Amino acid sequence: MADNTKIRLDFRKSLDDFTLSVDCTLEAKVSAFLGVSGSGKSTLLNCVSGTLTPDAGEIAFGDEMLYASASGINLPPEKRRFGYVFQEGHLFPHLTVAQNIRYGQPNPRKSSDAIDVLEISELLQRYPKELSGGQRQRVAIARALAMEPRMLLMDEPLAALDSALKDRIIPYLHHVKEVFEIPILYITHAFSEAMTLADEAFLIADGEIMARGEPHRLLTAPAAMRIAQMTGVENILFLPVTASNKTSGVTTLEIGSQSLIIPYIDIGVGEVVPVAIRAEDIIISLEPDIPVSARNILFGQVQYLDVKSERTWLSILVEWHHLAVKITHEAREQLQLKEGSDVYCVMKTSAVNILWN
Amino acid sequence: MKITPAEVAALSLSIKVALLSLVIMFPPGLLAGWLLAKRTFPGKSFLNTLVMCPLVLPPIVSGYLLLILLGKHGVIGGFIYRTFGIEIVFSQVAVIIAVSIISFPLLVRGIVTGMASVPLELENTARTLGASPLKVFWTITFPLAHRGIIGGMILGFSKSLGEFGATIMVAGNIPGKTQTMALAIFSAVHLGEDASVYRLVFISTVVAFIALWLTERFTLR
Repeated sequence: MADNTKIRLDFRKSLDDFTLSVDCTLEAKVSAFLGVSGSGKSTLLNCVSGTLTPDAGEIAFGDEMLYASASGINLPPEKRRFGYVFQEGHLFPHLTVAQNIRYGQPNPRKSSDAIDVLEISELLQRYPKELSGGQRQRVAIARALAMEPRMLLMDEPLAALDSALKDRIIPYLHHVKEVFEIPILYITHAFSEAMTLADEAFLIADGEIMARGEPHRLLTAPAAMRIAQMTGVENILFLPVTASNKTSGVTTLEIGSQSLIIPYIDIGVGEVVPVAIRAEDIIISLEPDIPVSARNILFGQVQYLDVKSERTWLSILVEWHHLAVKITHEAREQLQLKEGSDVYCVMKTSAVNILWN
Repeated sequence: MKITPAEVAALSLSIKVALLSLVIMFPPGLLAGWLLAKRTFPGKSFLNTLVMCPLVLPPIVSGYLLLILLGKHGVIGGFIYRTFGIEIVFSQVAVIIAVSIISFPLLVRGIVTGMASVPLELENTARTLGASPLKVFWTITFPLAHRGIIGGMILGFSKSLGEFGATIMVAGNIPGKTQTMALAIFSAVHLGEDASVYRLVFISTVVAFIALWLTERFTLR
């Protein structure tokens, strides 16, 4: 990114019982802030957009100061020219799609490229209540782009959509990233979105940036466990591909001397794929030859048990990978699991999620 | 049913006064409604109390306070009398002022309800799309609050039509000059003109019913 689109954030904002405190410079084309709700990521975006005023500090876009408590600068949102896409879309209900899009357009008579990029030309005469959730979000993105912003701020734009819809919107976001030459600040609690879209990711928790880096490198950082817990994905593994067969519809990954089968992806043998498995998606069995439909049965050993919470947490060593598994106390007692027990981890192919490729 | 010229005069005065007071009070009502619904500032609860006061005060008390203010020796009335030589009390202007003060809280209430129902997020979104606060008001807040605004207008209008206590205090009950419908009914009852009372009560009821029905239509989905 050129210097004039760098975003400098160095400010503090206290709300009721929590304080957001950031000090960083965003230089990537797409910067993602990853955190759970309440981590301060929406507060951050509102301060950048100008709809919320920080308590102290500075916010600058290139060499233009947007907010500086010391010199009393606080550019109102309408002067910042940042397109803002909200989780709920926030389309104006009394205006048609076309009117919504024209609302912020510098030249309302000109048709916006955003209409083509987001493929909404069919929807222009409709009112927001006549749109589906996915359409609404596409219109919201188009509206933010039509104002010809200097930067795009996206607050969980996909969070309100179901996963099938998400998968249909993500290509549009990629398209936006390619077509429009503006930086994007994207906040999300979904790890996979940060992975697929961002060039740089910031891990935010309790109002502070815990880690930053390229999204996939962030995983190997000490913060990775934190991310995993925050995003509800406890196991993230980097595994090489040993076979990928379109006709059988599966790709095989190597985990030590064992293999893990995942839904087919178009990828070459030898490449490394990051996969995520939720702790509760793993079934523990004492026998390998059980008649189940699940395709993956990995042998391992219980390293330790944590019985303090409402579920039993197991750490299972599979080859040299640790798998976190969550089961009920009842199941643990029935299987008589203890440290050193030999177990088989059973999981469906669909429980193994590919983070990106 | 034969309506007398005096009754027509009372009815038309009531409608004229109610409409005029609506037109006059609408801009300050919009401002007060916006301030109360959308802004936080020191003295907000004081402003709210001040605006709503005529709703809880007996109209006769409001009328008396107005009489003191607007009379020839009052702060406002005295000034106007000395400067322009005009006496406000017991004139149609006094009727309009009395009716406006009494109906203002209902107008503002409707506007506040309407504007408070417009999500702040939509207004903030409009700001991020480059709209100034004034543009946000006219393109987002105002149109989306229209149900509440219309409701407040109609309720205020109906209140103005029927205002009695404050009007009789500051404007008297002069037939053909300051005698509104409500005052005409009062006089007719006193004079024992039953036929006139029935006609006026009937007309008042119809007008009130229509106003309320319009409110329901505009404010309920």
